[in-house]
Amino acid sequence: MAADPRTAVETVTVIVDGKEHKFPKGMNLLEACLSVGVKIPFFCYHPGLSSPAVCRQCLVEIKGAPKPVPSCYTAVADKMEVTTNSPRVLEIRRQMLEFTLLNHPIDCPVCDKAGECSLQRHYFDWDGKLARNEGDKVRKAKVVDVGKHIVLDQERCILCTRCIRVCNEVAKSPDLTIANRGSHSVLTTAPGQRLDNPYSLNTVDVCPVGALTAKDFRFARRAWELCATPSVCPGCATGCSIEIHASRGKIHRLVPRENPLVNKFWMCDEGRFTYKAVTENRVRLPSIDGKRATLPAALAEAARLLGEDLAGAPQRVGVVFSFQATNEDTHVLLRLALDGLKIERVYAGGRALGGSDTILVSADKNPNTTGVVRTVPPPLRTLKELTRDLATGALTTVLVLGNEALPVAAATPVTVIVLASNKGPLVAAANVVLPIAMWAEVDGSFANKDGLVQRLHAAVPCPGEALPGWEVLARLGGKLGVEMAYASASEVFAEAAGRHGFLKDAVWGDSSRPVQLRFGESRG
Amino acid sequence: MAVTVKVVARPAGIRGHTYLVAVAEGMWVTFRHLMKNFPGNVLGLRKKTDIATLSYPEEKQAYPARNRGLHRLMKRENGDVRCVACMMCPTVCPAHCITIVPEEAPDNAVEKRPRIFEIDELRCVVCGLCVEACPCDAIRMDTKVHAPPTLRRADAILDMEALLARGEPSIATQGGTGPFWREKV
Repeated sequence: MAADPRTAVETVTVIVDGKEHKFPKGMNLLEACLSVGVKIPFFCYHPGLSSPAVCRQCLVEIKGAPKPVPSCYTAVADKMEVTTNSPRVLEIRRQMLEFTLLNHPIDCPVCDKAGECSLQRHYFDWDGKLARNEGDKVRKAKVVDVGKHIVLDQERCILCTRCIRVCNEVAKSPDLTIANRGSHSVLTTAPGQRLDNPYSLNTVDVCPVGALTAKDFRFARRAWELCATPSVCPGCATGCSIEIHASRGKIHRLVPRENPLVNKFWMCDEGRFTYKAVTENRVRLPSIDGKRATLPAALAEAARLLGEDLAGAPQRVGVVFSFQATNEDTHVLLRLALDGLKIERVYAGGRALGGSDTILVSADKNPNTTGVVRTVPPPLRTLKELTRDLATGALTTVLVLGNEALPVAAATPVTVIVLASNKGPLVAAANVVLPIAMWAEVDGSFANKDGLVQRLHAAVPCPGEALPGWEVLARLGGKLGVEMAYASASEVFAEAAGRHGFLKDAVWGDSSRPVQLRFGESRG
Repeated sequence: MAVTVKVVARPAGIRGHTYLVAVAEGMWVTFRHLMKNFPGNVLGLRKKTDIATLSYPEEKQAYPARNRGLHRLMKRENGDVRCVACMMCPTVCPAHCITIVPEEAPDNAVEKRPRIFEIDELRCVVCGLCVEACPCDAIRMDTKVHAPPTLRRADAILDMEALLARGEPSIATQGGTGPFWREKV
């Protein structure tokens, strides 16, 4: 294969455990070894952070070097001969683990990290010997409330400084430090300061042990009870890649998933709590005028109301798209309302603008603004115009997708048909409520602010009688004479991709089954 | 797979046709056992090898020493539950009969404790794996007490109070053997 001169990088030949490998020049030796399947344990190294080589766990022998060197702090060089599995290296590895465990409390039964702890794993992989230390372990503070979301256990800390580097390098907020010397070193904040930066929960993710634990997840589930499903954070237009960790149909935490294009290894604290909306305050059952109804009855009533008003005064009927909805829901609503019913008053809304920063958080708090704007042909009117049109009486019937709190008082003579997932003033005022699934319960896609289309996977079942939005809309279309037959979200996506340019290059991908974290790879 | 029928030929001859000899042989076996058990069951001279007829429930079978019985939860020295809600027992339980809901313990040296600890004794298969898995000697199956009959299924679910009623302080040191370093800082 001829090397492309634009992307060609100088490669070096390195012998790892007797085998020759080629790596790009200047590559980190630990990364190089891991990339060819050579196992080296480490604590302080993290692919998204700088390497301080403080844990000494990744020591390897290099021919010519007088002492073993930390591989995370060494760049590959030509003709380097590395040994990672000699008896000397294995013994050093074991001894380093013994040092690390010297003052570790080994309170795995009460530690939230147990099951996904690097120290546990490395002990089983590389040590496995009984403790030899006599006398008392150094005691430090437990259950320290260091921040709004985080609890610190200084005894469990193995002083790898990953959390300090996350604060310094990712959050740009140097909140943590190591105080004191030797065995008495402790992780701490400056006196009177707290770990309250907007990226603080990343310290919990990178902590290789259970020193930093999240208050929200504390004692909720053991790691091995959780199933991980890849998804996308719905918190803002950035669209960070995440994993949904759920157990028995309930989401317990969201953690970032590596995505070099968007969020690298991180996500903001705000995004981690977006799952609360999925578990709380849901619309579970369809209703007509506030009374419980069956889904077919609610669909028939919605079709009757829409049909009558479209026959009477079609110019007074509006449709409201949601910047929270998936591309699939948006596409089916487009087909129903614009293609089928020829509704002309088209609005779109979402959550109001919020705070932003230069790291990850976008001011636009909707995950699919780009997708909706590129799906629905202009003019797309705003919620402000919707409010005005409702007040002036220009609009008497609205079909609303999503739960944006529209200013629709129950007294106003407006017919509201809403496909909602969460309860709110709009649902209380609506004539017909059709429950729909949320982002964690459906297969679908979001387009983030850069137009990157990313897949959502269903992690938990829909509550009550809720169905994915596209399915409810397709059934409503059937009642109104707009035939749309889809067997799955992927069929909707395929149709949408053939019509909307921004989806053309997107790939639906395989459906992902939840992966149980039990005995799985540690995220540490 | 089709059902196959095997036709067994009737034994030949008068002996086979009448079964008289076979009946007599069977009667002899019954009589032999009667004579063997007569001294034990009637005259009270029972040997260990005799076939026993127990006058249950007045008379009860002696269980082997390894019989387990109902669960119990052990206590700390101050009477609190030893369990730290580590979820090892519900994880290992093949019958999914253990339900634990953890909570924060007021004592930082303990940190975690169960708020709810329930065992469904109807589901339990008495395998003892929960006892094997427990790192704290918090759960034991050494009461040798049968799961009592109940009128409602819910009554067979033992809660923490019921499990602690048979509990007592364990002689094992909480947190393992060796110097007891986990004291309050």
